[in-house]
Amino acid sequence: MRRRAAPVRFRDRLVLTVLVGGGAASCLLLADWWFRPGHVAQPALFVLLSLAFWYGAGRIVVGWVNYLGVARPEHVAAPGGLRVAVFTTSSPGEPLSMFETTLAACARIRYPHTTYLLDDTRDPRFREVAERHGAVWLELVGLPGAKAGKINRALELTDEEFVLVLDPDHVPFPEFLDRTLGHLADPRVGFVQVCQAYYNQGRSFVARGAAEQTYAFYGPGQMGLFGHGAALAIGANCTFRRAALESVGGHGVGLAEDLVTAIRLHAGGWTSVYVPEVVSRGLVPEDLGSFQKQQLKWARGVYEMVFAELPRAFAHLTWRQRLCYATVGTYYLFGPTTLLFLVIPYLYLWTGVQPASMRFAGFLTASAPVSAFGAAVYLYVQRWLCHPAAERGIHWRGLVLKVACWPVFLAGTVLAVVRAEIPYVPTAKQAVRGRVLRLARPHLALLVLYLATVARVAYTRLAETPEGALELSGEAVWGMLGFATVPVLMACGAVYAAWRSRTPAPGTPWEAVPVDRLGGEAR
Amino acid sequence: MRRTGRIVLTAAALAGCAAAVLGLTALGTRAEGPLTGALERAAGMVGVVEGRVARRVHGPGREARLAWFAPMRTAARLRRPERVLLGAYDQGLPASLQGVLDLENRLGTVLPLVALYTAWGDRPEQQFPLRQLQAVWDLGSVPVVTWEPWLTDFENRLHPSLPLRAERDRGGLAAIARGEYDFYVDAWARDAAAWGRPVLVRWGHEMNDPYRYPWGPQNNASADYVAAWRHVVERFRRAGADNVLWVWSPHVAYSGAASYYPGGDVVDWVATGALNYGTVAYWSRWWSFEEIYGSKRAALTPYGKPVMIAEFGSLAVGGDRAAWYREALADLPTRHPEVKAVIVYGASRDATVTQQTLDWSVTPDSAAVRAVAGEFARWAPAPARVPAKR
Repeated sequence: MRRRAAPVRFRDRLVLTVLVGGGAASCLLLADWWFRPGHVAQPALFVLLSLAFWYGAGRIVVGWVNYLGVARPEHVAAPGGLRVAVFTTSSPGEPLSMFETTLAACARIRYPHTTYLLDDTRDPRFREVAERHGAVWLELVGLPGAKAGKINRALELTDEEFVLVLDPDHVPFPEFLDRTLGHLADPRVGFVQVCQAYYNQGRSFVARGAAEQTYAFYGPGQMGLFGHGAALAIGANCTFRRAALESVGGHGVGLAEDLVTAIRLHAGGWTSVYVPEVVSRGLVPEDLGSFQKQQLKWARGVYEMVFAELPRAFAHLTWRQRLCYATVGTYYLFGPTTLLFLVIPYLYLWTGVQPASMRFAGFLTASAPVSAFGAAVYLYVQRWLCHPAAERGIHWRGLVLKVACWPVFLAGTVLAVVRAEIPYVPTAKQAVRGRVLRLARPHLALLVLYLATVARVAYTRLAETPEGALELSGEAVWGMLGFATVPVLMACGAVYAAWRSRTPAPGTPWEAVPVDRLGGEAR
Repeated sequence: MRRTGRIVLTAAALAGCAAAVLGLTALGTRAEGPLTGALERAAGMVGVVEGRVARRVHGPGREARLAWFAPMRTAARLRRPERVLLGAYDQGLPASLQGVLDLENRLGTVLPLVALYTAWGDRPEQQFPLRQLQAVWDLGSVPVVTWEPWLTDFENRLHPSLPLRAERDRGGLAAIARGEYDFYVDAWARDAAAWGRPVLVRWGHEMNDPYRYPWGPQNNASADYVAAWRHVVERFRRAGADNVLWVWSPHVAYSGAASYYPGGDVVDWVATGALNYGTVAYWSRWWSFEEIYGSKRAALTPYGKPVMIAEFGSLAVGGDRAAWYREALADLPTRHPEVKAVIVYGASRDATVTQQTLDWSVTPDSAAVRAVAGEFARWAPAPARVPAKR
């Protein structure tokens, strides 16, 4: 069933503006409290703590500003007679049976089009499947630039005006092109992106969490970016105008080829449209190992956009586009800031060094309004999820998974700054048997450190701290221990995710997709 | 971008953000609100609960060794003390009371009074020191708070009706009496009433010394001091804080203390300091306790109130420190029967009076410790020589 995000009414916008205004004012008050001279205990550490904290708070605020732009484009009927290509790619190691499903679904896309399979598997069975489903088989072996390299070569070999780039795990609905092509009637529009949704999120804890992480982005997140003129192209499900791609030298290459393409097109003056509709469903990683590999690739790639593309494109973007790309580009700083938050309580509990002389009670009071408005906005914008009935809720699995990935984010950050390369590997389409210990190692280490610290604190407090110092130091010590407990709970979630990943869910998810019953009117 | 470029850009971005943090901090202020106060109280419970756990594990602590004092820990009995109560001040507060405990362990006694100091103002540490008072109480003692009406620590941003800081000290006591600082006095009064345990408050001490504190005669008339005192006590009583005992504490070396006496109905104790600065300053010489207190005690005795030596101590420069303590304390209850409390002043880093940092601490001075311990043992029938628990 096709799903579609709710329209944006004036009343919604008003409520959202009030909530965001309240949140912004709360943030100012929190900043007023935070930056008191009396709160500085150890200046260098205070600066670090402030950077980590206000990075997180700043992202929340920028997210709010993004939501203020939330917009849903009016549907434009696709004009007849356009020439459209659908590109999907196959690489060695990808399961053949998945292409049966994808290519069968491509053949059922109603708008007249030609499907191309861009293949470098050197496996004759892929050609057989493609041709059985009426797709044109292109053998594109040995091209640099992985998927994007094949797309660029295929652009040279074909001549359709419009190109839908479809990841091979994404099963398009018959009305896909009818929902996107109309927007390309406006000659300024360079690409039309649709929602990315999944059909396998029910198959594992990790899949559910990974999907949860994307719900808000593909709903109000991208709708906000669209409203601000910066709807992003995501590797899959993007319908491009050939002229736009050719004007920027083809599809971008690299770990974040989609982002690179989007920023180049925006810098080249093209606009983009985001259609918040589910007109295809694909796969989300089902095991922690695959998810982390995907995240490392994305982290490295997103920073590549920041360092290699953003400076070049900067002058050609609107200020709202700059803010959007800078925000997207700094998402993975969550890695280093999490490390800092982890270190601070242990530093205090083992050495007595404290970055800030803040009282926990004071912090709770000062930050409570920000938390309240943040929660209100979080829940309010869920009305614009593409499939609210299934996606609404507190996405705690997504949060656990994000925290589980902090070492990966950190690695991605460091690798990007020192410009170390990592190879392009397509995200695994099927769950990989994970090695629990390897995946959970940093989190288990944290758990051990935490338990050792609890034991040490309990022992010191009972056996060593003199009577006259006990009561007056209680709040600081136990408060810090509480501060250390939150990430440990998250780490337990990460260990749980790793544990659940040790055996893949049985069967292949795509075989259950009812290709002949996809799509239909939106609810 | 090349590797060096990236590293430079990352470093520059970090440096810029760090500069922003420091800049913002420099702009900051220091106030605290009522909700925070409530949460603070909850947080304070952590320490109390932990103390209970520790006592359960280790057996009775200091409070048990002060069992003789327990029945006297009421406002009524503290107004009429039957015996001399000993106490100490140590600079470990607000972080720790261990300095006081270390001193008393060396003195072989357990001190029923513990002194602390706090100034008026907006800062968190200038609000009612609930946490510290509770800690003192849980150790079995009664707190003596010297509460100093510095008026310049209130921010105009938060209290727009107050005069500018530079203009507050002149006539400041009259402003207190008019109720201009009731926002602060009332908050303390409410907190004190809510706490409910007896506490001795020594407000606006040495008010007749024209050189030291802004609430002195250089800025105020004695009638204004009396009016301010009566106003403050009145606000506390109105809030139901009858657990607060008021300690009036002039400087006996300066004349005219009597005109500052607020009246027997609003004073529970009278007090003075007895500090021998030895020869550290041009204005001082080696004065004995008798010269400092004995010869001036007439300024305190006419009111029929128990007398407290609120700051008792000698520096080591210019004489025999141990002898000073010995002479001062020898037969004190018979020599000066009006004295019902002696608080050993043990600040190790006192920079309040002279340009130098002075060390009043007794604990490291074995001779002085022996002198004080010997005299205490003679006339203060505390549970003598209780072995230190930890």
